[in-house]
Amino acid sequence: MISFTSFPTQPEDAYRTVRRYNDDEDDAMMDLDDENGPSSSKLTCPGETLTSSHDYMRGHGTYVDNDEVIASVTGTIERVNRLVTVRPVNSRYNPEIGDLVVGRIAEVQPRRWKVDANSRQDAILMLSSVNLPGGVQRRKLESDELQMRTFFEEGDLLVAEVQAFFADGAMSLHTRSLKYGKLRNGQLVIVPPVLVRRLKSHFLTLPCNVDIILALNGYIWVSKHIKQIEQEGELGFDAEAVYSNQNDRIDSSTRSAIARVANIIQILASHFIPLTDTLLLEAYEWTMEQDSDVKTLLQEDYGDALVAAVVSKE
Amino acid sequence: MASSHISKAESSYIQAGLTSKDPQRLDGRNLGDYRAVALETGVAPLANGSAKLNIGRNPHNGSGGTEVVAATKLEVETLEEGAVDKGRVVCTVTCSPAAYPHLSPNAVEDLQYDLTTVINQTLAHPSLHPGNLRIIPGRKSWLLNVDLVVLADAGNIYDALFMAARAALWDTKVPRTRFVQFKARKGGVDNVGKGGDGMDVHQDVTSGFDTRGAHSAADFELPDYWDEGEVLDGRDRWPICITLNLVPPNHFLDATTSEESAVPLKLLLVFSFASIEVPTIQAMRFIGTGETSSPELRQLIKEGQRYAADTFKALQSKLKAEDVRRNQKTRELFASR
Repeated sequence: MISFTSFPTQPEDAYRTVRRYNDDEDDAMMDLDDENGPSSSKLTCPGETLTSSHDYMRGHGTYVDNDEVIASVTGTIERVNRLVTVRPVNSRYNPEIGDLVVGRIAEVQPRRWKVDANSRQDAILMLSSVNLPGGVQRRKLESDELQMRTFFEEGDLLVAEVQAFFADGAMSLHTRSLKYGKLRNGQLVIVPPVLVRRLKSHFLTLPCNVDIILALNGYIWVSKHIKQIEQEGELGFDAEAVYSNQNDRIDSSTRSAIARVANIIQILASHFIPLTDTLLLEAYEWTMEQDSDVKTLLQEDYGDALVAAVVSKE
Repeated sequence: MASSHISKAESSYIQAGLTSKDPQRLDGRNLGDYRAVALETGVAPLANGSAKLNIGRNPHNGSGGTEVVAATKLEVETLEEGAVDKGRVVCTVTCSPAAYPHLSPNAVEDLQYDLTTVINQTLAHPSLHPGNLRIIPGRKSWLLNVDLVVLADAGNIYDALFMAARAALWDTKVPRTRFVQFKARKGGVDNVGKGGDGMDVHQDVTSGFDTRGAHSAADFELPDYWDEGEVLDGRDRWPICITLNLVPPNHFLDATTSEESAVPLKLLLVFSFASIEVPTIQAMRFIGTGETSSPELRQLIKEGQRYAADTFKALQSKLKAEDVRRNQKTRELFASR
């Protein structure tokens, strides 16, 4: 089954409108001077001249060249007194201590792992900040250093918490809780980090036997539901299970539920709707009411209908 | 590509879904389903033919997907003595570093070399050679450059490259040419001085200029504007690639990046259709570390042929629709003037 579509047609004078906007040099400055001006509704292009550096100070997202303040990112202009900043439309994840993140091991180094967490720099997971097999409170040994790849190896996904920052701004992670650790039994969905708000809990469980980890860095893990009893208790720590690469048996209905949730997340993210537990549940129920196949979610009009239905309920 | 790591758990999750009795994929597609393919021809105004293709573009915000731009350019080549005078076809694939952010510049270069080899060996094969690349027999011919740029890779790059190349070649117009020859006027030098330009078109008189006597035509001219011309000879024959991703006992089409890295063996099958009933297999290649047996291979080729016929039909109708759309656009442009 293959079907061809067309690229969306651009308006004939799209280029010309942009040019006109750029040519009108006073425009940006006038908005800045006007206290109540709609300056925030305008998007900048990277490299676009905003104003003169004699009158204004450069803030984040701008730089100075030839006595002019120039935007370095696409975003909205913001101004506080004489300070001009550009708030970017799309950016990488800005970590804060205590945030829940999902990351992928990029590199194994002496006594530490480098983790890709959608941030500007790779995060660092120290060997001393993971739970080691054979007791939670135990000194790390040389033998642990030698077998670091038996805990996490390149490509592995893990859920962790931001513990601290290093001097260069890289974040340090820890997995010293039974909630955290290696991820299995599911698939990863990547969304822009701004769409994940801080919630009471980032571990969601949908009644369709699906667990979701809404990590603040925009990596979302959708997996089969694991019963609570297995997760609780300090004594229940089982190194075999925590660092295992083996998936459990996943039946067909769970698998299609996981695929359905993943597709719903993709649709909501592409409409730039922040993700919450209630929203995801409503969207899931709406698709089940429609009694539709998982792959119909890939169609454009169906996605639009889903978004319209869910947003109107709020 | 396969070099983007996924964890063992993810990989086995994907494989278990594909090999189970009721096969399931990460996004709910069936095994034989393609993602939506967006195609547009005539995207590069300075090329003789061009196309843009995207597989798996997000329909809502237009992000993601494997994106390829293909363009063809005809170049006049003066032939050496004894060279093949049928013209040449040369294909090049360039990968944007942005498409492979996890690869080093050297690795990207290796990759584009690999892709170029596959495309060039298939498309420049004598069996597909268009017949109208000759300008002056034995003297000048067209060199057909096919350039492909990979702007983004979200899996299934070979199918995308071949489809884009086919669309660009379908779109290619070869400018019409006319022989020009020099000849001495009967009156000699005086006559030329009086206003005759000493140049004539399409006359059978033996040229005084040509001493070798091989051909009377010395040069050629273009009767049309540069963007007009005739289509490439045998443009129906340009091939289609089907990548079968093998996860015994099943196989599936149009793998995403993560599916690709979970699959041990891929089989590329390239089919050319002189007509829809008679496909010829133009190329075949295994990629990966897995293995398969020859009876299975026979079955796979048969299946691949069926998929290729579907793709051929869909692509053909899309290309014709694109031709109609562009003709209409041109007409509107003229009407508005």
